[in-house]
Amino acid sequence: MFLRTIFAKTLRDRWLGMAIAASVLALFMLYAMAVYRDIDLSIYTDLPTGLRELMGIPEGADVASLSYNVMLGFTASLALAGLAISMGSAAVAGEERGGTLGLLLANPKSRTQVVLSKAGSLVALTGAAAAALAATGYLVPVVLSVEIGAMQVGAMMLHLFLNALFYGFLALAVGCWTGNRTLASGLSAGVMVVSYVATGLLPLVEGLAGAAKVFPWYYFDGSDPLLNGLDWSHLGILTGGCLVLGAVAVVGVNRRDLRGPSVGRTLLDRLRDDPRTKRVFERLAGSTRVSHLWVKTTSEYQNLLIVVATVMFALMGVLMGPMYTAIESSVADLGDQFPEAIMALAGGGDLSTPEGFYQVETFSLMAPMAVMIVTIVIGTRALAGEEARRTMGLLLANPIRRSTVVAHQSWAMVCYAVAVGVATFAGVLLGSVVAGLGMSVVGIAAASLLATLLGLLFGALALLLGAATGRVKIAAFGAAGAALASHLLNAFLPLSDRLASGARLTPNYYYLTRDPLVNGVAWSHAGVLAAVTVGLVAASAVAFERRDIRHG
Amino acid sequence: MAGTDAAIRTEGLTKHYGDVRALIDLDLEVSLGEVYGFLGPNGSGKTTMIRTILDEIRPTSGRAWILGLDTHRDAYEIRPRIGYVPGDLALYPNLTGQDTITYFANLRGGVEWSYVDELADRLQADLSKKVGDLSSGNRQKVGLIQALMNRPEVLIMDEPSTGLDPLMQREFQTILRDVAAEGRAVFLSSHILSEVQRVADRVAIIRRGRLVAVESLQDLRTKALRRVHLELEAPVEAATLAGIAGVRDVTVEGRFAELSFEGKMAGLLRSLAQHHEVVDVSTKEADLDEIFLAYYREDASGDEELVEAGAGR
Repeated sequence: MFLRTIFAKTLRDRWLGMAIAASVLALFMLYAMAVYRDIDLSIYTDLPTGLRELMGIPEGADVASLSYNVMLGFTASLALAGLAISMGSAAVAGEERGGTLGLLLANPKSRTQVVLSKAGSLVALTGAAAAALAATGYLVPVVLSVEIGAMQVGAMMLHLFLNALFYGFLALAVGCWTGNRTLASGLSAGVMVVSYVATGLLPLVEGLAGAAKVFPWYYFDGSDPLLNGLDWSHLGILTGGCLVLGAVAVVGVNRRDLRGPSVGRTLLDRLRDDPRTKRVFERLAGSTRVSHLWVKTTSEYQNLLIVVATVMFALMGVLMGPMYTAIESSVADLGDQFPEAIMALAGGGDLSTPEGFYQVETFSLMAPMAVMIVTIVIGTRALAGEEARRTMGLLLANPIRRSTVVAHQSWAMVCYAVAVGVATFAGVLLGSVVAGLGMSVVGIAAASLLATLLGLLFGALALLLGAATGRVKIAAFGAAGAALASHLLNAFLPLSDRLASGARLTPNYYYLTRDPLVNGVAWSHAGVLAAVTVGLVAASAVAFERRDIRHG
Repeated sequence: MAGTDAAIRTEGLTKHYGDVRALIDLDLEVSLGEVYGFLGPNGSGKTTMIRTILDEIRPTSGRAWILGLDTHRDAYEIRPRIGYVPGDLALYPNLTGQDTITYFANLRGGVEWSYVDELADRLQADLSKKVGDLSSGNRQKVGLIQALMNRPEVLIMDEPSTGLDPLMQREFQTILRDVAAEGRAVFLSSHILSEVQRVADRVAIIRRGRLVAVESLQDLRTKALRRVHLELEAPVEAATLAGIAGVRDVTVEGRFAELSFEGKMAGLLRSLAQHHEVVDVSTKEADLDEIFLAYYREDASGDEELVEAGAGR
């Protein structure tokens, strides 16, 4: 029944992503308001004006307006617009690349009908997510007994909804016009980020405030709908923009030849095709890339690595240094105000020192998570993924032992983990130098090393689960679930005297317990992590050797 | 004892997936220098057999040898000496054809690039494009080249001509004949009978995991049915014709009859002449399709007999 229409099928394919995003945002909303209610808000209101504006925090914010602005105005608006872009670019260009659009159009449906159905499902899902968030926005303050005064969450969410829709339609239009999914999502995301940053910063520059009106994001919060309610002219401009882009999409897809299915192009592919770099990269992307199994594996996740390493280096590394100096005075006693449980979750650092600040912001969650993103992806795809793609049989028909396959894939995983670890190390070191924090180089190296080892451990777990079952979902969710459980148990068990020693059984215990940023590496702890990882890899080889290869 | 001369030999090879018996007590022997057709409909156990002798999956019971080496214990030693084309071929979509060939050449060793070029030329393969951008036929060519490129002693191919156009199928079959002529072996699984007919020396027929028969193509033909078209003076009853020894599948339309006949034509003509005025006779050699259907038409009770006949070889 869900498959009766293109509209319904698109809803079915896409609702889960939106639902998860809305639920997570709702939980964050609850969490944020609960925390803000209990702490001194000057940590946020004392931020430098530029940064504060970027995060959407009004001057002298109270609990409710801070929560709304940070969670809805900032996080939710970007998340929803991002999801809308993903839907918009997948709608036509995505089906083209996947090779299913031709099949769809072989049915008695015109291209215009397909575009309209896709646009309809985009509106419906984005609307549903926005409505759910609006409901959360009204409910949470009631639950937590926070006064919201005259603030108009509904008006803000309507602005947010149309704003997200605008970027979704932009992606739809670009995808329809060009058939290029990467271009559609990349260009729309670029426009979104640029206009978001511009509308945040331009008003701070004298004489340029009016220039912000050029950027679409201005029509989301330029009129401050949370305080001032609906601004019909702004809503009209966003709606008009969506309609124009919708028309562009319809014209665009009708005017051109459809593309056939194709595979994506990586950075290496582009350099390989460019006559100026062809000679070097032909060798790098061609013969070198396939010289060994592990080299081929390391070539496969370039884009993921670039994103993860950049985020760790620039955002979580370099930027955190100046950020600390900016809020040093207000952050000092913040630690005391947080409930103990929340501090434990955040990594339990002492916020009055730069080491503690970096521990909370960068190392406790983000660094191991960044390493885990690459290690779990590789660990999952290395064996189970190759089976799911049905290439394992052919690979193993070559003179390569199963244990060698495991070894090569593990080595590729180590290379990636080290790359993320080094990016983190370099970023934090640079941040410390730039902001003059004088943190210990050895300490930074120690924390980066331990984060790398912790991430590798869970990557090796994904490898083992994949080796034993051949199933991608078990490997990925099993490892990610274990990592989450380890983090939570290590945070909460020590809160109870009776259970505290149980934390030693979690891998996370061997990560930050001895404050590596200050004390350097506790080699026994590093040894435990490394030994468990090696054990998991060895077990993978044994499990893989004994099993029938699945056909996918 | 491992038959040292056999390219592939299996002894009681059996594979169960839970309650599903995918392969039952399979005994066969493929010699060097022959193209061995392995025929059966979808789901009959062809791929299971191939995946078992490649050590992708392990037999529930029984053993197999390739070139006299145990397929499980000596799997690693076997692999440099075989070439393999999996059924429903999947490759790495992000690699070009050239990258794919290079990758497997690096893993396997012993590849002459001049031979790769020759194969690419003969099969008209475009190796510069990404595999993911190729049509299924062109992707299949990449798979064929990688299997053939190190001149393996034993070629194991699961439905290898999938997606190839008729001209390329012809060229591919010529290549297979060349391989056999060089004293190497080809194990060719297929459900397309005509392609096996053109290239195979011997044919094994598998059904529901059991070997039904192994015949040389020549035996199959001589033994095989002929399709006979008759035109008679007067209308005839189907039952009358069906009563003649060696006759089956009779269809009658008035004075015209069509039937399958196994045995010497003289016998059929004599029997016909006793009761009917024959106006015209035309016969043609039955192709494997019909022979194949004849094997498959046997009901369950006939199965055991055929299996024994096949297993005895």
